[in-house]
Amino acid sequence: MPGEPKRLEHPRSVYIIGFIFKIITLSVLIAVIYQITFSPHGPAVLVPIKEKIEESQKSAILEEVRQQEEYEKHRHFHHVVEYPQLPENMRPVCYICHSDYPHSKNKKVRAMLNMHTQFFVCETCHIQEQPGISVTYKWYNPLNETPKGPFYGTEYDPETGNLIEVEDQFSKISPFYRTGDKFKSAIQIQDSALAQDYVKVRDKLTPEQRDNVKKKFHVHIKAKGHECKVCHSRNGILDFRNLGFSANRTIDLEQLNIKGMVTKYESFYIPNLFSE
Amino acid sequence: MEFIRIITRKTLFLAIFLLFSFMTPGVDAADKENCLMCHKYRQIGRIDEKGRKRSYFVNENIYANSVHRNVPCRDCHTYIDKLPHDPVTQEVNCANECHIKPPFSNDNFSHKKIIDVYNRSVHGTQEDDSPELKAAKPYCKYCHLNPIYTRVEEQRIAFEETLGRCLNCHERKGVTQAYKHITHRLRSKTSRSPQEIVQLCSKNCHADLVLMKKLKVSNESMEAVKTYNESIHGKAVGLGSQKAADCVSCHATSSIHDIYKKDEPHATVNKANLVKTCKQCHENVTERFAQIDVHSEIGPHEKPVLYSVNVILGFAFYGSVFGLIGLAMLESYGRRKDGIKMQILHGTSWRGKSKRDKSK
Ligand code: HEC
Ligand code: HEC
Ligand code: HEC
Repeated sequence: MPGEPKRLEHPRSVYIIGFIFKIITLSVLIAVIYQITFSPHGPAVLVPIKEKIEESQKSAILEEVRQQEEYEKHRHFHHVVEYPQLPENMRPVCYICHSDYPHSKNKKVRAMLNMHTQFFVCETCHIQEQPGISVTYKWYNPLNETPKGPFYGTEYDPETGNLIEVEDQFSKISPFYRTGDKFKSAIQIQDSALAQDYVKVRDKLTPEQRDNVKKKFHVHIKAKGHECKVCHSRNGILDFRNLGFSANRTIDLEQLNIKGMVTKYESFYIPNLFSE
Repeated sequence: MEFIRIITRKTLFLAIFLLFSFMTPGVDAADKENCLMCHKYRQIGRIDEKGRKRSYFVNENIYANSVHRNVPCRDCHTYIDKLPHDPVTQEVNCANECHIKPPFSNDNFSHKKIIDVYNRSVHGTQEDDSPELKAAKPYCKYCHLNPIYTRVEEQRIAFEETLGRCLNCHERKGVTQAYKHITHRLRSKTSRSPQEIVQLCSKNCHADLVLMKKLKVSNESMEAVKTYNESIHGKAVGLGSQKAADCVSCHATSSIHDIYKKDEPHATVNKANLVKTCKQCHENVTERFAQIDVHSEIGPHEKPVLYSVNVILGFAFYGSVFGLIGLAMLESYGRRKDGIKMQILHGTSWRGKSKRDKSK
């Protein structure tokens, strides 16, 4: 064009202002597109497609699990609290087949036994004693080789009378084979790959084959765990003081029978708990 | 002899038990019977006969901060009569009387009064309800988990300062809870946010159209969640407002549980009561104002005029935004076609001359 004015480089501030305006324009555009496609306040043109995709990916089992969790939350009333979980590949192999609440047969103690799995690995109760090998019990943490505590349940909070709150959420009391000064973990194979493989193929196995695989996981496991008084008595297998339990906590655990239960209620019927 | 032996043994046990129960320091009053001895462990639970995971865990520190902290376990779980107890098959009845006398009252505390109000409302189960309807109606626990005391942020006077005055005479622990108990009722109708209320009423219930259809609710109720969300109140709440009306603001009085169908005379949304209901928030409400449809279904058949205006406004809005973008794009396309290049720097976005511009 004739007489076109010469364009000069603009000062830097102009670029900054221009940049800001571009960002604003872009955000408005994105907002408008969201408004049309997915926003509940607009025509939501893409929502039916999204729902269709979700519908096709729906799993009846997942749906039911979700519903049950929801139901449990309302049923429970006293707040369902989430706790940190071990990563799936570090969870003891027993849980892969036995679930979080492994005990169900004996109605009188099942919930109580499940309760003990919070601070015991399964083997603490289920280990098959072998002649000539002595077993000692120590705290074991899969994430930390030498857990220092304080551990859950070892002390009372003097102010509230509740158990003290602790950071360590993963340590459990676990058996170790002892030879001289050496400790060897008595926890059974931790081969979760094998167990997961088993879960996948178990429907294809005959009952005998299934028993064979099962045996791999239950080498030194006895069917019935320790009875209550094996621990809850003066000369139990657990050295409470050495495990870090405070003096009054030790007394309470050793004398559980007197303190809480027997005297208060006549019909006390946990099998063999306090038979002498 | 046998008899005497048993007697002495029992007395001995009792004596030791009493000794221990007095020695243990600070055992919570609500748990005199030591139920938490087992229930404080989070792994207590089992898989029930239907394969459902059942947790029996009660977090003792949460319980100690809940409104029920002084209620002994067996005031609610009345069916527990021995230890260890049988598998529980009964539900807690929230209308039980507990062994606690509230201040300014000679009677034991009970939720009975509010439950009566609730039972008379639409949500209370009636004899002639169908079984599906009975099952679908919410029960106390559906909306109320054991509530934790919440602290209301006081804007005019700081929480600690007000509380500080109470502490001149009262003990901290008790009076802090009492202070929270009262102050959170001074602020708004419920201690939940409007978002929580809308979620509570919608999720799994009023927004579940399959369920609503099964219960044969009216067309208006079918659409209620949708029309609310499209209304000005719903949009404001959806965008985070703490002041805009939620479901409870309009459908209940301050007793919150008295929700009725709109043709019932006590309903807050009955024509006769609407002015009063709107007045809770809006000043100068007139009969005419109260006629404004709050759950407005703007369809071509229900409200043809509004619907057409809505469509026209939509066109105007999208037309202007996309019209501008379209124009800019056409212009760019034309320039590119003419051989003008885009550039970012150097003071202008375009460089080069149009091929069509023959004059140069
Ligand atoms: C591969 C899956 C699997 C793994 C892993 C597994 N179990 Fe089992 N276990 C089973 C099955 C299946 C049964 C039989 C259940 C039944 O009879 O009800 C069983 C039974 C048991 C029994 C009862 C035995 C009886 O005769 O009644 C105990 C105790 C037991 N398991 C403990 C453990 C422990 C401890 C571990 C971890 C070291 C473990 N299991 C790992 C599958 C497994
Ligand atoms: C406090 C000790 C204790 C701990 C810890 C323990 N158990 Fe047991 N378990 C027992 C006792 C006791 C029995 C026998 C119950 C009965 O039938 O009276 C048993 C029985 C079982 C049974 C078969 C009977 C049933 O109730 O279904 C299985 C399976 C089992 N345990 C698995 C496990 C697994 C898996 C773990 C680890 C997560 C574990 N147990 C941890 C004590 C324990
Ligand atoms: C292997 C040892 C062991 C066995 C077997 C055992 N317990 Fe325990 N129990 C413990 C330990 C350790 C604790 C405390 C753990 C903690 O709080 O960290 C405990 C805690 C308890 C508590 C809670 C006590 C309190 O004051 O917190 C009860 C109740 C209990 N056990 C009952 C039983 C019953 C009933 C049985 C038999 C079915 C049983 N226990 C078997 C070791 C055992």
